[in-house]
Amino acid sequence: MDTISLLMQGFAVALSPESIMFAVAGAILGTLIGALPGLGPANGVAILIPLAFSLGLSPTSSLILLTSVYAGAMYGGRISSILLNIPGDEPAMMTCLDGYPMALKGKAAEALAISAIASFIGSFIATIGLVILAPILAKFALKFGPSEYFALFALAFATLGGITGKNQFKTLMAAAIGLMIATVGIDISTGVQRYTFNTLELFEGVDFIIAIVGLFAISELLFFLERHAGDGLKQVAINKLKLSAKDIIKVLPASIRGALLGFVSGVLPGAGASLGSFISYTLEKRTSDKGEFGHGDPRGVAAPEAGNNGAASGALVPMLTLGVPGSGTTAVLLAMLISLNISPGPMLFQQNADLVWGVIAAMFVGNLVLLLLNIPMVGIFVKLLSIPPKYLMPIVTLIASVGIYSVSHSALDLYFMVGFGVAGYIFRKVDIPLVPIILGMLLGPEMEKSLRHALVLSDGDWGVLFNSGLSIGLWTVAILGLVLPIVVGPIVRAKMARSKNSTS
Amino acid sequence: MRVNDRVFGMLMLILAVAYGWEATQFPVPFGGHESVGPETFPIMLSIILGISSIYMMVRPDPDEKWAPAAMLVELTIVVLAMLVFAWAIEPIGFMPAAALVVTFLCWRMGASVSKSVITGVISSVAIFFLFNHVLELALPLGLLEF
Repeated sequence: MDTISLLMQGFAVALSPESIMFAVAGAILGTLIGALPGLGPANGVAILIPLAFSLGLSPTSSLILLTSVYAGAMYGGRISSILLNIPGDEPAMMTCLDGYPMALKGKAAEALAISAIASFIGSFIATIGLVILAPILAKFALKFGPSEYFALFALAFATLGGITGKNQFKTLMAAAIGLMIATVGIDISTGVQRYTFNTLELFEGVDFIIAIVGLFAISELLFFLERHAGDGLKQVAINKLKLSAKDIIKVLPASIRGALLGFVSGVLPGAGASLGSFISYTLEKRTSDKGEFGHGDPRGVAAPEAGNNGAASGALVPMLTLGVPGSGTTAVLLAMLISLNISPGPMLFQQNADLVWGVIAAMFVGNLVLLLLNIPMVGIFVKLLSIPPKYLMPIVTLIASVGIYSVSHSALDLYFMVGFGVAGYIFRKVDIPLVPIILGMLLGPEMEKSLRHALVLSDGDWGVLFNSGLSIGLWTVAILGLVLPIVVGPIVRAKMARSKNSTS
Repeated sequence: MRVNDRVFGMLMLILAVAYGWEATQFPVPFGGHESVGPETFPIMLSIILGISSIYMMVRPDPDEKWAPAAMLVELTIVVLAMLVFAWAIEPIGFMPAAALVVTFLCWRMGASVSKSVITGVISSVAIFFLFNHVLELALPLGLLEF
């Protein structure tokens, strides 16, 4: 009951004209960002953070704006999957399997509409799941002491590669690099300068927003240049929509199953949206008797799309309640929270209840906006999709730099941004994942703080890190998260590749 | 060929050692030693980085192909162009600097010169007005300031 009244208060926040305006703006921007190949959701949200920041938006407004962008990007990702056979990001890969064949058969509009409905169902069910699960988890997390938090952070890094992660040591290395960048600056608890080389600009440390924009957006520009991908790709023409209520009812069960599976894999550490859409798709393929999966079966579009969106909302559960994001984009949303001086975690639900519930309510509103936007207006997004990257990427780069510049009005920040861009290019060349680096920069200070608290309380006894059942449990999951992918990873990856090959 | 990972692992190993060594050189904080000082966490990190970089050298993954030398030169030029843009915002103003860099980037990505110039000019003017007048974030006018 308590939850419901809080949620109602949240709706009061979310239905104010200002919030609705931000939700609509975010939804439109997000769909665009998601639809443009090469500009994934993490990228898009990263570019918008400094803008929201320098506009001086209130925490609630900026979070509403960015969560709608996040949700919108998940909707948008399917447009390029269906029309170009290029997933906007990894989780959208499974949508290509049946979405693109449908488009080839001249049913592009139907595929887009069905996937929009499935996305809506996925996000809607998962947001309900978030409402139910998040307060419970937050209450539970209040029991965490510093040593449990330290273990939890370790778990976050260990599972970040996900079950499909390729090289666990590279994830570990990336995390270490990120955490190392976070140690630059004046140490908070002792005032000792660390790795500042006596440079005034480094005293406050390296701003992670600059790092995010550099690592994601600038390195992407360099990759576009290298691949000569400036002209964009050929897309399938869109037809006139002929969708009956019967078609929608036919894909409903698939969408609901996909949404539930997606939500669960979004909440679990290390599973993530890719696994969510993969499991939804394979399960649907197995349970449906006589489908033509892989050749444009509408259920094959609905299931992974619902799973993908369900996982996206599910991933917000650990991010909001524990302060530990499970994916790249939620890591970027966490960056947003930290830069607004809001520390996520169990206390968030007590101290900033109106903000949390406002955002959750805004997710319902945004989701409805997205559904309404996406069915009649899909043609406009498709038009924008046909702007070749050779014009778009330079403009996006310009907007990203303006965002960074307007935060502090210093050219030095832009030099750093370009520097991180070059570093990101090199990291991607040697297959070092970027997300753990970002996460390391974000979580570094908190992680060190909890280590210190724990050790000071125990008077320097390292055993304290493993002295409660809870922390031992967390360490066990962390180690499993690190070791399992080495064993199971190749099997799952091979299966994903096989289902992709058998259809194309 | 598995050279990339070996070279990168070597560089990271050097970084790990340098970083760890630097941590042992931190001055003793005011108030004397505690069980955990400012150096504890960095030393842990340097060990993790060290182990993973050794693994990377011993068991390298197959190389991703590097771009040919001509492309690397071009990418370097693009990076320099962005740095020049960053430097130029204040002395020559946002609009000219942005117009130049966007034009250059469009052109390098394969657009024709005239279309690049049009994109550069329109986008920089539009963004300038959007930021200065709609969003009220001041961008420097530079040379255009009378």
